[in-house]
Amino acid sequence: MSKKHKEYRSKIRIYADILNSLLRHGGSSGPTHLLLGANLSYDRLMKHLKQLIDLGLISEEKNDNGRIFKLTDKGRAFILEFAKIEKFAEAFGITI
Amino acid sequence: MSPQLLILLAFTMDLISSFISILVGYKAFKSYKVSSAKSFLYLYFGFTILGVGIFLRAIIVTFFVLIFRIMEDIPSSLLSLSNFAGIIFTATHLVAYSLFIATYVIQAGSSGQQDLGVGGAVAAAVFPVARLFYIPTLELLAITMLGFVVVSSLMNYLHKRSLNSALVFFGFSFMFLSHLLFLFMIFDEFLLFYGQIMRLIGFVCLLIMLARVNRTHV
Repeated sequence: MSKKHKEYRSKIRIYADILNSLLRHGGSSGPTHLLLGANLSYDRLMKHLKQLIDLGLISEEKNDNGRIFKLTDKGRAFILEFAKIEKFAEAFGITI
Repeated sequence: MSPQLLILLAFTMDLISSFISILVGYKAFKSYKVSSAKSFLYLYFGFTILGVGIFLRAIIVTFFVLIFRIMEDIPSSLLSLSNFAGIIFTATHLVAYSLFIATYVIQAGSSGQQDLGVGGAVAAAVFPVARLFYIPTLELLAITMLGFVVVSSLMNYLHKRSLNSALVFFGFSFMFLSHLLFLFMIFDEFLLFYGQIMRLIGFVCLLIMLARVNRTHV
């Protein structure tokens, strides 16, 4: 898979990718699945996950298998709002 | 159709157009707040300025049409004032279109009287006044600017092939057509009315797009 140029992903897009990845896994997931889903390095994923926790979009729980990140209601509302913004942006040719 | 009904229809169409414009602007502002994408900010200012401009023009044109209909002699100062208002209102359109151009650029980076017939006679009773608010030179500028926006929205539609992008293209295209009709009003004053219909259709296209966007599910 080759691209002519590397596309810049905005912070908001990365947040949406992480949250959508969580949603695809039923609303909760460990960091491994999120690494693949959001296509980020471990360090960058952890940095963004901490920011998402601070924003109240996800919550973190610890169990025997390690850390589990869960989508909050605010996170679900953000995904829906972002999907609407994406459609609106697409209609005008705006890249988020 | 009576002149009164024509005034009311033109006023209502402008009112609806301005409301839709402000609605699209509000959606753009909400999108900007979440994404911080500057293009949304340009779109917000563009549609808000356009909406406010159409709203103010609708109120003031209707006011002048009614005043001029009851006055025997129209003072030249009042005519100058209506001309000045026309320049200001067309300027708001040009500012709005400049902002639309900015949105796309960022992403890409006579009045000769003719036989007008019965409808024309009614129009002639209303539009000689309303016409003062449309300046042909500025309309030409608006057509050029909106032409760029239409081509950009067409390119976007060809790239995305989505119904929403098609609706935006149709929206801007009908606005473009409305300005063409406003320009050719020098040949037939009734074209102002048709121009307003075209503009309303354009805004309805944008409203449908907005409704579709708000129905999005995850």
